[in-house]
Amino acid sequence: MRRLVLFVSLALALLSGVGAFNWWIDPFGEVWKPAAVAEARKAGCLLSQELVGVRYYSFKLDVFEHRPTRTFVVGSSRVLKIAPHPGEQSFANLGYPGSGPETILKLFRALPPKPAQTVYFGVEAFWLNDTYVLPATDPSDSSIAEYLLSRNAFERSVELARQSHYLTSDRWQRATIGRGCVIQRNYPSIAWRLDGSRVWSWELDPKRYPKFGATPYTGDLSTWRNGYFADWHSLDEERVRALEQALSLARTRGWHVVGFAPPEPPHMLHVLATDPRLAPQWHGFLRLMPRVFARYGFTWVSLEDGRRLGCRSNQFPDAFHTDAACSLRVRDRLDEAARRAD
Amino acid sequence: MLFNSFPFLLAFLPLVAAAYFLVPRHRLRLLLIVGASYYFYAYAEWWFPALMAASTLISFAGGLLLEHERFRYRRRLVLGLGIFGVLALLGYFKYAQFVGGYALDFVHVITRQQFPGLHAFVNGIVLPIGISFYTFEGISYLVDIYRGTLRAERDPLRYAFFLSFFPHLIAGPIVRYGILQPQLLEKKPFDADRVRSGLLLFTLGLAKKVLLADGLARYVDHYLAAPTELGVVSAWACAVGFGFQIYFDFSAYSDMALGLARIFGIELPWNFDRPYRAASPTEFWRRWHVTLSSWLRDYLYLPLGGNRKGEQRRDLNLLATMGLGGLWHGASLNFVAWGMYHGLLLSGTHHGRRRGWSLPRPVAVAATFLLVVIGWVLFRMHSATAIGQVYGGMLGLRGFGETPGHLLAYIGVSAAVVFGLPEEWRWPVERWNAAWVAAAAVLFAVAASSVYTSHPFIYFRF
Repeated sequence: MRRLVLFVSLALALLSGVGAFNWWIDPFGEVWKPAAVAEARKAGCLLSQELVGVRYYSFKLDVFEHRPTRTFVVGSSRVLKIAPHPGEQSFANLGYPGSGPETILKLFRALPPKPAQTVYFGVEAFWLNDTYVLPATDPSDSSIAEYLLSRNAFERSVELARQSHYLTSDRWQRATIGRGCVIQRNYPSIAWRLDGSRVWSWELDPKRYPKFGATPYTGDLSTWRNGYFADWHSLDEERVRALEQALSLARTRGWHVVGFAPPEPPHMLHVLATDPRLAPQWHGFLRLMPRVFARYGFTWVSLEDGRRLGCRSNQFPDAFHTDAACSLRVRDRLDEAARRAD
Repeated sequence: MLFNSFPFLLAFLPLVAAAYFLVPRHRLRLLLIVGASYYFYAYAEWWFPALMAASTLISFAGGLLLEHERFRYRRRLVLGLGIFGVLALLGYFKYAQFVGGYALDFVHVITRQQFPGLHAFVNGIVLPIGISFYTFEGISYLVDIYRGTLRAERDPLRYAFFLSFFPHLIAGPIVRYGILQPQLLEKKPFDADRVRSGLLLFTLGLAKKVLLADGLARYVDHYLAAPTELGVVSAWACAVGFGFQIYFDFSAYSDMALGLARIFGIELPWNFDRPYRAASPTEFWRRWHVTLSSWLRDYLYLPLGGNRKGEQRRDLNLLATMGLGGLWHGASLNFVAWGMYHGLLLSGTHHGRRRGWSLPRPVAVAATFLLVVIGWVLFRMHSATAIGQVYGGMLGLRGFGETPGHLLAYIGVSAAVVFGLPEEWRWPVERWNAAWVAAAAVLFAVAASSVYTSHPFIYFRF
């Protein structure tokens, strides 16, 4: 009996140790860390992407809950530069990379119904690509447990702890980067403001971090924009249904919704509008969206043409995402549309 | 549910084992295991248990009818119907796609018609894991009753336990009821030594799977993904590497099954005995997947006449038996080719023996290993083109090629284990002292933390 107890207890102790160490280091960012967010909020610092990891959904809910939010934006990574006006506390950016109609519906359901909100709903055309697979929101508890007990994660944890000795006593640290402070671990490739908007590393410190450039368009849809537009044959009805469910919920709650497609730089708009593999779906998307939003009594503003907004090509650093100045123009147009709807 | 998964290791197994020993009554324990096994099976697909229940019902009822019938022709009829019943399920779910696909291709060649609806239908048939195993168990049960070597089970709970017992449900060993039935008659009290011994054997299997088989798989899969680029060294390394991989993978599953069953007080038959140490193909099949090869011998080869009707008939019987054995592994011509290749090796061995050919044992072991490894290419690669490409590489048609260093290192370690240590179920784990048990606990923790990236067992497909 003693040897059985020895086997079971030693095996469990070792696995628990691995789990605890992986939880502490969290090398692949799967563990939600509210304490890191709280520390960034308290210190008035930015929060490094390393500490958000894949937990965008939890982070954005936290952002919402800690602000007197009355207006928020949802959408993909392309809405993440839409920020509050100076001093504006009631705006939150709840967009995140990999979100889509289903995850936005989930987010809407998780938000309190009152007070009524004004929602800027950024819709991506590639969401309606019937072959586009939407990433999951937060990992499930069981998958986190598996991750924490995994040898892969443990090996990476050991590697990170060797690189940064402070990790043995602190899970993160405060660092000054450029003129701002960031709660971070090793490398703040991307940082988040506590209003939910995103800051690139080269915006933090242009001397230290190089500005990334656009990958040239070669015509290969499987590599262009992570393959989001590849094999697009028809508008995905399931996704449209999920979008309509989200809009229906917003209407039930008395929210105001303004829909838009995030702007495209001129040369990319040309690709979308003329490439025979994309043009029919792209135009179909632009025709469908105003009708869908109108069906629920909401406004759709046409912002997909970056040039008409006054955004120059160089305001799309990677020819996909807008920079802060162009995003401000987007915000102004959305505010205007919301005022008109009132 | 996989043995090498966290839900199994951290939830299913501890809960079922704890509940099993907490339940005071024997029949309730049997019921608990049957329920847990059906849940275990449903974890893969919710409707799989219905199939297993149908197979159980057919063979159970067939057994009762067989025992009841006195007339020979009626007994034959009942046996035929029972076997047809369980085989029909296997035939539909495992072979309809194979046969239907070829039939539709044939019709297409003749008529130029496509039949997309039928294609979609046959391609949509899902193969329920484990069906090949419990079908063979059901058949052996019926045949044993027919032959009078086994009494029909009258207790449906015990019979359901026999077919569904989760340690052997998915990938064997193929158990015969005569072995299991006596062990189901009485309650097994909690025995810490037995549970520990089962856990240790399970640990050895788990470690063998995730540390050796999965490690080999990573490199073998990588190289075989581009068979046209294989030089002579990498092609041979892949063939040998796959030989070790499938052995560690499947024998690991068997060790884990034996260990799990032992925890519950059940001893299952062993399935492997270092087959690469065999000095002839005949000996290889006495050491490799023993419960399948003995099943094929007793329920196929011998009823076909075995070696009692002359040499030519014996050769034909061997080819038929091994060809069907290959087909049992998967509905694909490459498995049939692999089976028939082994049929040829077996008949070649008989002819060689009759002519008095013999080799010193080390040479015979090396030659057998080489022949078996050559055969694994047929098993692993699923198209004639890919098989030809690997053989082309092995023959040096693409030159020396690169040296797969990591794979060769794994092969070295694997060879040391295979040729230097006895089969894991032979290890005296029940006598291990505290230091060995502690080392096994560390091994368990390392292996369990590796299951996150582990591959499914190869034999799950069959």
